[in-house]
Amino acid sequence: MSLTYLEAIREAQYEALRRDPRVFIYGQDIGEFGGAFKATKRLSAEFPGRVLDSPISEDAMVGMAIGAAVEGSRPIVEMQFADFSSVGFNQIVNQAATLYWRTNVPCPIVIRLPSGGTPGSGPFHSQSMESIYAHYPGLVILTPATVEDAYHLLLDAVELEDPVIFCEHKFLYYHLKADALPTSTLPIGKARIARPGRHATVVAYSAMVHESIRAAEELQQDGYQIEVVDMRSVKPIDTGTILASVARTGRLLCVGESFPWGGVTAEVISRVVADGFHLLDAPPQRLNSKDTPIPYHPNLWRAHRPTAASIVAELRKLLKF
Amino acid sequence: MPAIPILMPQLGESIAEATIVRVLIEPGQDVDEGQEIFEVETNKAVMTVTAPCKGKVGELTAQVNVSYPVGSNLGALEVSSQMAKDMGVDPIKSAPKPQSSSNHHEDGEPANLHFKISDADTIQERLPTVEPVVGGLPVPAGATGAHYISPRMRARMNELGLNASDLSAVAGTGAGGRVTVEDFEQFLRNLDAHRMTNASPMRIAVADSMRRSWSRPLATVGSPVVLDPLLAHRKKANPKPGPALYVIRALALALSEDTAVAGRLVGNRIVHPRAIDIGFAVEVADGVLVPTLREVEKKPLATLVEVYNKLVEQARSRRLPNEASRPGIATVTNFGTFGIVWATPIPLPEQNLVLGLGAGRKAPVWSEEVKTFIPVTEAELTLSFDHRILDGGGAGRLLARVAQLLQTPEKL
Amino acid sequence: MTAARVLEEKLASLYRAGGRIVGGVYLGKGQEAFSVALGLQLSKGRDIFAGLIRDQAGKLAFGEPMLDATRTYLGSALGPMRGRDGNIHRGRPKEGLPAMISHLGSMVSVVAGMLMSRRLQGRLGDAVGASAIGDGGTSTGAFHEGLNLAAVEKLPLIIAVANNQYAYSTPNNRQFACANLVDRAKGYGVEGYEVDGKDLLACLQVFQHAISRARAGHGPQMVVGSLLRLGGHGEHDDASYIPDTIKHSEHGRDCLQLAEECALERGWATVTELAALRESSQKEVDRALAQTSREPSPDPYKESWRALATSALVDEEK
Repeated sequence: MSLTYLEAIREAQYEALRRDPRVFIYGQDIGEFGGAFKATKRLSAEFPGRVLDSPISEDAMVGMAIGAAVEGSRPIVEMQFADFSSVGFNQIVNQAATLYWRTNVPCPIVIRLPSGGTPGSGPFHSQSMESIYAHYPGLVILTPATVEDAYHLLLDAVELEDPVIFCEHKFLYYHLKADALPTSTLPIGKARIARPGRHATVVAYSAMVHESIRAAEELQQDGYQIEVVDMRSVKPIDTGTILASVARTGRLLCVGESFPWGGVTAEVISRVVADGFHLLDAPPQRLNSKDTPIPYHPNLWRAHRPTAASIVAELRKLLKF
Repeated sequence: MPAIPILMPQLGESIAEATIVRVLIEPGQDVDEGQEIFEVETNKAVMTVTAPCKGKVGELTAQVNVSYPVGSNLGALEVSSQMAKDMGVDPIKSAPKPQSSSNHHEDGEPANLHFKISDADTIQERLPTVEPVVGGLPVPAGATGAHYISPRMRARMNELGLNASDLSAVAGTGAGGRVTVEDFEQFLRNLDAHRMTNASPMRIAVADSMRRSWSRPLATVGSPVVLDPLLAHRKKANPKPGPALYVIRALALALSEDTAVAGRLVGNRIVHPRAIDIGFAVEVADGVLVPTLREVEKKPLATLVEVYNKLVEQARSRRLPNEASRPGIATVTNFGTFGIVWATPIPLPEQNLVLGLGAGRKAPVWSEEVKTFIPVTEAELTLSFDHRILDGGGAGRLLARVAQLLQTPEKL
Repeated sequence: MTAARVLEEKLASLYRAGGRIVGGVYLGKGQEAFSVALGLQLSKGRDIFAGLIRDQAGKLAFGEPMLDATRTYLGSALGPMRGRDGNIHRGRPKEGLPAMISHLGSMVSVVAGMLMSRRLQGRLGDAVGASAIGDGGTSTGAFHEGLNLAAVEKLPLIIAVANNQYAYSTPNNRQFACANLVDRAKGYGVEGYEVDGKDLLACLQVFQHAISRARAGHGPQMVVGSLLRLGGHGEHDDASYIPDTIKHSEHGRDCLQLAEECALERGWATVTELAALRESSQKEVDRALAQTSREPSPDPYKESWRALATSALVDEEK
């Protein structure tokens, strides 16, 4: 059996629908058409009445899911692109994220965000929204980098009592394949050492894990052993695993695809500096996309986001310090 | 006739690859612009790949049921030179083999047909070097050698009880020659190859004291002093004061005239001494102790002899009373007892001054009275001081005053 | 209606006296007839009532305990929001009383979702969900999206639009350009009704009809009540922008007074009975306030300070 990252997401939703009658999926073009990326392919036929096309109304889609969760459903909302979730932003951060805290009634919804850049997609089909949602209390932000995590984290997300922003990376949809799915994986909130090393730590998540591993492989030629930490979930953040890695290496680079101002990479560094200042042998660094909207032309796009090449360049500077 | 590539086009938003379903044209056939060549399937739909311009289909390298990334070369289209130029596409030199996208994800940044790019391989070469997004690492200004100590280095040194001065032998490989933790750990590993003994507590105490003292800009001046009056006085005295005691008493009297020179600089203020307590260096096993005589300016020389001798004894047996262990405001060291003529001793960390007495020796001194050289016993008197507080002139005047006082030992 | 009026008058006087009310006070004076006509005809345990800031009357009629209001207004730790959110935002989502957020229009889709979930679970029965909104709220994208979605899903949703002529201070002619708000119903493919919002009987009738249509599966129903807010947006606002000519017109008459006149006219109540009603309401309000006054305030040291239901995922407080 061979499974892509996208197929894993589809399989996880299949499993969630099969396992739990409370689960239903709501989103644009997800019914018979199977979704813009085919993440719900054939699901509407297999689970009639539970995989529903929605109007193009991100605000109402999320609001509806919140109401359904209050009444005991476990809705999964598919945003066609992460970028469009900004239209549902108010419902996500003001309604879903505050509901439990305000009323003691949990809000178990999962909002799937096809995230990140692919060449030629431009400013409105490429965004990574994890940093902006992570800023708000009351949300869990998952960022799977592997086929295994795409599957298990999504299933775990559906079971969670809290609203989950599930950032699935479009670049990994077709390109990432696994031979089989393990029966279990790390729980939500635990980071993973994707590659052990001792000279520097790269903390990354989602597609950037793979860019970081490629960078580590390149630096291996020069005798450097780079440790890559896959955050898996950016909120909650597994500071312990990150600190343990920095304790081994003394040097930290944090890589994220979202915009540079504030955000996940800044949070990681702030925590490492606060709790692990004594572990640092060099000023911790971060690498994000450039501070501009995401460009359309592939030549510009490649230079806009972090790549294995720019990660290598950054690591070389860090290693030389 | 030049050949241009037939490329897998961008078939929709976020479509990264497509699978060849059917080949619709035989190689060698003429095609018009827009004529369908391949039928392909994406995750969204079945679509076709069409001829970019009029030409003759050459070798079709793409295979049915294989998936190719957007921008892959699927085959060749022979076109006129003019047409090739108009298309703005680089002609194919030798037909490259298309890369199947199954089982690899490195190739996940396909080119886009709309941008006149020939094939995925040449794109990689033509790409400008991607500049890292963030700027240079901040290297502390003027950092050289072991001066910059990272938080981790600091923590590691604290853990091992080491000081920056312990790293002086480590050649740093970091930015500006800084010692990295790796350098440091390597240094520690290298030490393991040597024979090592534990330093005595006394040695460590002296080392700590000297390290702290060395954080200041220290200077030394020296001047000869005639010892004959002192020696003559000492011969007659009972009990006999040690030569250093004469110097201690002379220094105390000199300082009583201006205590500021023995002050310490803290921030922008001079801290004046409260009492003229003078210490003196006594060599003990594996180190030096400095017992202190209290309020020396108030006590004539004769009254000091007994307590001085007792303190020397107590120091040597390491049984100094607490009262004598508290540091004074200056120290006298008689390095002449080791036959040393000249030295630059280091004042204690909490003191500004250390006065040294070198070995006495016969020297000819010109006498204006008798118009000839006459032999005298002379020694070098040195004064080391914190240059932040005292300058050469002030230090010289203090020395001269001490030397002058030593010429009338009966008054001490 | 009477109880709501008495309660709100008391809250307003407490607000003006200062010190005891936490946050602002927003009254439903002038809108009680429209609100109560809806709340009265919904049944707690079956239906959903998403009231807004001027629905004190509707909420009481629906069955919300008066203590919920006094506890949130006076900042008791025992209130449904436990000091975490204020007065008019209170709710009990599991009991059919969604807790509104400040962003107008956003409760429409939430009520739709509650109905949708019940239908998916096969337990919708003949329940309906009502979402209150004002003239200003109908201008939001969320209102449009929510109502459109409910219409597409053919959900038994009642949209009660209290057109009180002013959104805070903005008059209707700066809020929408259609001749009448009810015209919009047609655009959404929902059934629409217009009613004199200060006429209790008319309101009861129109809501009775709309609710029965919704229960019978005819999809969302939109009821627009025309009325006037007899006060400011909140008690901090003197409503000086409402011209006296309107205030003193027929349109500016008090719905409670009108209802009382109607009851007397038709012989449904005597003056004595109305006075007794007012007095018993007064006692009920006093009791609620007295009890609330004895209750503890929220304690920041006992507060859990966690926003997630899953405690294992909460960052440990340092």
